[in-house]
Amino acid sequence: MELPPPFMNPRLLALIPTCVALNVVLGRIVSELALPVFLDTVGTVTATALAGPAAGIITGLTSQGLTALTSGQMMWLAFAPIQVLIALVASSAARRGGFATAASALLWGALCGLLGGLVSSVISYSFFGGVTSTGVTALNALLRYLDFGLATAVTISSVAADVLDKALTFAFAGAVLRALPTRLASRFPLAMRSAGRE
Amino acid sequence: MSAPAAPEGLAARAHPFTPLVVSLAVVALAFLLPAPAGPLLLAALLIIIAILGGDPRALIPAAWLAVPFWVLLFILHALLGDGPMRTLGPLTLSVHGSALALTQSGRFTAIIVASVLVIRGFRPGRFVDAALEAGWPWTSAYITAATLNAIPRFQERAVRVQEAMRSRGLRVRGTLITRAKAFVPLALPLMLGALHEVDERTFALATRQVRAEGVSRTPLRPPADTALDLTVRWGAVLAVLGAIAWRFVA
Repeated sequence: MELPPPFMNPRLLALIPTCVALNVVLGRIVSELALPVFLDTVGTVTATALAGPAAGIITGLTSQGLTALTSGQMMWLAFAPIQVLIALVASSAARRGGFATAASALLWGALCGLLGGLVSSVISYSFFGGVTSTGVTALNALLRYLDFGLATAVTISSVAADVLDKALTFAFAGAVLRALPTRLASRFPLAMRSAGRE
Repeated sequence: MSAPAAPEGLAARAHPFTPLVVSLAVVALAFLLPAPAGPLLLAALLIIIAILGGDPRALIPAAWLAVPFWVLLFILHALLGDGPMRTLGPLTLSVHGSALALTQSGRFTAIIVASVLVIRGFRPGRFVDAALEAGWPWTSAYITAATLNAIPRFQERAVRVQEAMRSRGLRVRGTLITRAKAFVPLALPLMLGALHEVDERTFALATRQVRAEGVSRTPLRPPADTALDLTVRWGAVLAVLGAIAWRFVA
């Protein structure tokens, strides 16, 4: 007889698939609106801020795996470590009430984007020759045209794109956490502290 | 890319683990095989498998996904690359950059063709049954199945929210500012509704005793895991191990 791990309670079993699906669907809404960001990790950040890093890491890795599979582009599995990094930074932010205001959420998001951008630039440069999403690669090409070296161009474009994306992701997740009714928020172990409501 | 209309080809007929293992092996081999010939031959082999395996139509979405990468790689490395240059008609191309663009194009094409073949044959229900039969933790199987079921449900809800908001005058086209302003009214109700639903699902799961002792889940129709499936999976693993060993020796 197999028992779920101790942390995997019914609330997490309900939360994780929901947040993975939100990552995918919000990413598609952003794509339909043709915005120059991804916002496809809002679910990961929200799961972490509600239930801790383990929930965020499982949400992030599941999202990355399913997105890579369903998009027909399994090479994006290489970016899975970024999901772990996002969950860890979001967890630090949540423990310090980093989602209490829009400004603090933006700053935590910018920090996450800086770290994530540096890691993703290494992956992008090493495995993909600097080619990732269309927008980032276009910025890359522009920087190459301006005589930047490939490694520099990949780093600048990855960091710039990630800082903007993660700052907005954390800000939006913070808005959601602050808008949650107290009755619902109090059922998640970290929600009240994340949003600075305790 | 959305879910396919009907199961086709070898991937749909095989045990659900087989195409996944093979496609992961393709990802590894695309980077392990000697460039540029290795990735290009791998891509060609997969195209032949798609045609002979009964799913040639998989090559259409694969081409849609792969062509933008070819173009971007050509611009970034061949046109804007460094080192010795060679003139080809009206274009002046970097020799080293062109080889890199060709290698990366071969890698991306091989991975994309393999991924598209897998997703066109992938059925969540069969996968969950296979996972349970193989003794995977019930929680892993549940998270996979619940997520695959939740995505289309939330997609439909997003469309309903969008229609409701547009009927109230929300503009989702126009300048960047206009489109950016539309995101929060579209996404916030979706997020809050989804988190409310988590509460309901928690009670549903708790009342079904998901953590109760002595409860085991039995797959209804576990897919057959044939000797051919096992051979193909082990063949893929051995091919990757062989490529790794070759990289160390060469």
